[in-house]
Amino acid sequence: MTTLAHDVAGGVARRRRVAGIVRRDFYATRRNGGRIVEILFWPVLELVIWGFVSVFLRANNVPIAVSVLLGAVLLWQVVGRAQGDLAAMFLHDVWSRNLLNVFVSPLSLGEFLAGHVIFGAALLTANSLVMSGLALLLYGFGITTIGPALVPFLVLLVAMGWGLGMVAIAVVIRFGESTQSIAWVLAAAFQPFAAVFYPVSVLPPAAEALAHAVPASHIFEGMRGVLAGQGIDWSGLAVAAVLDVLLLAGALTFLAHALRHARRTGRLSKFGE
Amino acid sequence: MDVLTVTALRKRFGPVAAVDGVSFSVAAGEVVGLLGPNGAGKTTTLHMVLGLTLPDSGTVEMFGHDMTRDRTRALARANFAASYLHLPAVLRVEEILDVYAHLYGLRRPAARVAHMLELLDLGPLRRQQFSRLSSGQQTRVLLAKALLNEPGLLILDEPTANLDPDAADRVRGLLIEQAALSGRAMLITSHNMREVERMCDRVHFVSGGRIVATGNATELAGAYGVDDLEAVFLRVARGGAAA
Repeated sequence: MTTLAHDVAGGVARRRRVAGIVRRDFYATRRNGGRIVEILFWPVLELVIWGFVSVFLRANNVPIAVSVLLGAVLLWQVVGRAQGDLAAMFLHDVWSRNLLNVFVSPLSLGEFLAGHVIFGAALLTANSLVMSGLALLLYGFGITTIGPALVPFLVLLVAMGWGLGMVAIAVVIRFGESTQSIAWVLAAAFQPFAAVFYPVSVLPPAAEALAHAVPASHIFEGMRGVLAGQGIDWSGLAVAAVLDVLLLAGALTFLAHALRHARRTGRLSKFGE
Repeated sequence: MDVLTVTALRKRFGPVAAVDGVSFSVAAGEVVGLLGPNGAGKTTTLHMVLGLTLPDSGTVEMFGHDMTRDRTRALARANFAASYLHLPAVLRVEEILDVYAHLYGLRRPAARVAHMLELLDLGPLRRQQFSRLSSGQQTRVLLAKALLNEPGLLILDEPTANLDPDAADRVRGLLIEQAALSGRAMLITSHNMREVERMCDRVHFVSGGRIVATGNATELAGAYGVDDLEAVFLRVARGGAAA
């Protein structure tokens, strides 16, 4: 290449390409007022509803801890947002008919994902700070009540969200634009089996077996244990970590396969029409 | 020296042979046209050249790099614009160019973006969102993006299809001027025969997924016993052979 550009295989060029995706996501989010509202609207709505439900239950002497419900709402929105943001940032290029421009640049799949994940992490941090502040302001619940276990809980939930986000992207690439609604429903489809608001033990046996394979179920069981003063269940966290690694590896494999399939069948070119 | 070598490219979509044994090359500084009726296989060929579609068989070598094994190195030295592609609708012109300057790993993205804004006369539109631009203005932004990395090979799929004659003429002039200045090779599809006559050193007519005629405009007109490329196009599209 000429002196105009860095060596395409070098670290500087790779970082610059990742930065290009981060900048694209930042510009697109900043310019889209509707998206900013949407990013905050649903989590805040859920927080308000569950907050008042817990206040109502407590007022009626139902033996339930406000912290358990609000902690569950705050942590589950991490999964939903991580998955939804990753998929939405990809779909933005599909809707703009820009995807082919991206795929004829020297950008690799790994760099493409890294850029979206970095911006998604920044967005998620901002979102979580707003939500946690609201929970403290409205209901006096501080998310740090969960203690030091909060860090691994968050990391493992974000990893699950990104894994599901990659699956959603892979489905759209593999089966076409008509499947894009998966971007909005995939995390929600796992919620019944994620033990967010109730323990896994209340599920029927078949659903219980499925729930044990969902990383989030081990984290929410762990969260309830911590809030009940039982300490951190490290074995549960380890299981969640292993399941996350399997999910991410499977999602990446599926995404790479979907992209190869789309290139082989000509479906990728259809994203330009 | 060839910047692009396409050898025996084939692609079937179900029972349809979209591309059926296409071979051609583009030399440094050469402008080559791929012409043919709708459905002839031009866009599929371009998309295989760019690695968007995988061929069933055959090879594409760009700047000596095999596209199936080393597409990143190849694509860093090429670029693409098509009338059917857009750019992120909500982004401003300068933001779009900034993003692509980064995606192509440019050393001084801001300076290069400023240069492209000036070159394509986009300075007054730099803060406009892409979706608010006219078709002609959008095409200029697409070309600015396509010229950002000073590509040694520029691939254009019907670049002036959405433009009025005046805007199309300006775009053609710019592309020819820029190609002459930098020694850039171009591979172009178009349905505008005057455009092809003006821009292309060599033309391949594609029909039914095959190259059925090759030459410059004068040679092709002579071979088909007609006056110009438009008449050659009509003969090819209607299944006629060279005289």
